[in-house]
Amino acid sequence: MTRSKSWIAAGSFAVCLLIPLVVRTDYNLQVLFRVFLFAALGLAWNLVGGYAGQLSLGHAAYFGAGAYAMALLPHFGVSLWVAPVLGIILAVAFAALIGGVSFRLRGPYFALATIAFAEVLRLLAKNLPSVTGGDVGIQVPSLFAHAINRSFYLAAVVLTAIAFGVTVWVSRSKFGYYLMAIREDEDTALSVGINTARTKLEALFLSAGITAMGGALYGSLFLFIVPDQVLSLDISNEIAIVAMLGGAGTALGPILGSIVLESASETFKNVFHEAHLLIYGLLLVVVVIFLPEGIVGTVNTWLARRRSALAAAPKQRAQRNSAS
Amino acid sequence: MGAPGLRSWKRESGLDAFFSALQAILNGLLTGALYALVGMGMALIFGVMRIVNFAHGTFLMLGMYATYFIFEKTGLNPYFGFVFASAFLFCLGYLIYRGLIQHMPVHSDFMQILLTLGLALIFTDAIQLTFGADYHQLNLPLLAKNVHLGQHISLNAPWLVSFGLAVVLGSGMYWFVMHTRIGRAARAIAQNRYASPLMGINVHRVQAVSFGLGVAGAGIAGGLLLPVFYIYPTVGDQFTLKAFVMVVLGGMGSIQGAAVAGLVLGVVESLTSLYWGNEWALAVDFAIFLLVLSLRPAGIFGSQRV
Repeated sequence: MTRSKSWIAAGSFAVCLLIPLVVRTDYNLQVLFRVFLFAALGLAWNLVGGYAGQLSLGHAAYFGAGAYAMALLPHFGVSLWVAPVLGIILAVAFAALIGGVSFRLRGPYFALATIAFAEVLRLLAKNLPSVTGGDVGIQVPSLFAHAINRSFYLAAVVLTAIAFGVTVWVSRSKFGYYLMAIREDEDTALSVGINTARTKLEALFLSAGITAMGGALYGSLFLFIVPDQVLSLDISNEIAIVAMLGGAGTALGPILGSIVLESASETFKNVFHEAHLLIYGLLLVVVVIFLPEGIVGTVNTWLARRRSALAAAPKQRAQRNSAS
Repeated sequence: MGAPGLRSWKRESGLDAFFSALQAILNGLLTGALYALVGMGMALIFGVMRIVNFAHGTFLMLGMYATYFIFEKTGLNPYFGFVFASAFLFCLGYLIYRGLIQHMPVHSDFMQILLTLGLALIFTDAIQLTFGADYHQLNLPLLAKNVHLGQHISLNAPWLVSFGLAVVLGSGMYWFVMHTRIGRAARAIAQNRYASPLMGINVHRVQAVSFGLGVAGAGIAGGLLLPVFYIYPTVGDQFTLKAFVMVVLGGMGSIQGAAVAGLVLGVVESLTSLYWGNEWALAVDFAIFLLVLSLRPAGIFGSQRV
């Protein structure tokens, strides 16, 4: 990142922290919380799905691990701020199991395996009511006692900033280049000496950890969780869609994707009421047909084309002059 | 999703235990035949054509609602009405391929997933807006009838009828894919997408017909499930993942493999419901799926083709 870009990033972060001075209603703060929460989750997914090109559709497993750790552990005397940390550790343990099995598969098989793991966890949570409260759900303690919505909003902004920082570090490090090599051609990456299994697992650990923290915040804000919500396919899909909509494999993509998708889906709910899922579905179809590289990808392609056209223009003029 | 007409499991005698297991296996086969139709449709779409279709269950749901709509409007028995419903779904699948899938600029797995998820949301919400979110059920006189085999085994009549029709139509679908020109062309495209147009195959036409056929397979299953199921807009969701499970168990690209996997899945779910309870059936499906994926990715009945 160049110096000017770092200043822009720091400035945006500061502006996001100051937003609660202007936005004061609980509803708006909750919508903004969701925007930043999914920005952080999208950034986390992007490490595996974007940079390493491994299409995980089971991130609800890590999200749910964080949420359930936040709900269950305080009952055993674990303090409020230690619970999310243990949730992160639990999610990383899940990631070791899920990644260990799934990363040996490629293409749609990998995606299906991640879905199956998340679904098994959802069904376990549903069918073991003595542990998780089952379908009835379970209460989650609140991490913050005062100015609840504002505090959760700020926590989501900080989580997004952390995820963004990790992403920028990854995209410039040797580790990140390994991941991109795996995305472009896994066999070639293996043949030039990259330990692909280990690299993919490490990326998944980072991703799962951030996702679990997001799950803990989510559960803790809404005070109540059920398996069909925090461990659902819908959560997994939404995380992946946010990243793909903005632009997979870019640092800004998931943030933009979350801003667009979450504000669109909130607006649709208010404007179209019962038809909001229909409109949301149409949005997905439009993205596939017209914006397959995501927002950032499409803009980059457009900029590159413009730049090359600009660069070509004087050359053509010079050629024309020399010809005459 | 429970097996039909399960008797409670009695522990008293070995013979009773044997009969209840036999009953569960038979019920499982009845359910499994309908699963097989769902799986064969998906085997055509995902296994042969490699289109990752997350709307398969939604197509099944549309088949149910179309049959239901025909029954409500004309009183036509669903065992005839499903023919029209599945013809409608064939056209819908054909149009979806021609209008959307053919024009996708990027054909990655994720773009296909995104597109079919979008379609699933659109159709599910459209049905909910039209028919409401409530549960509906058909009242057919056939529903109450049971066929008794000896003293201990009884089979529910509508399930038997659906089973018979599913076997006939499933065999027809298999014959179509294996022995007609279009079926051969579809398999040729699966083997080599670049050589097949050089052999004079119109790839998009064949793919559009195959996609329509796969969607119709889900629609037929929906029509045949209608008499024995409650219907509601999200009823199809459970079948999407099961269809993927069947294709992978049966071996990618194998139509008959998916059909056998459907029967196996039906029996496994029925036995799981009997011994552990209904709520574990789906978890066992996924556990088997993960075991097969990690130990034998070519599928249990895996032909290595495609």
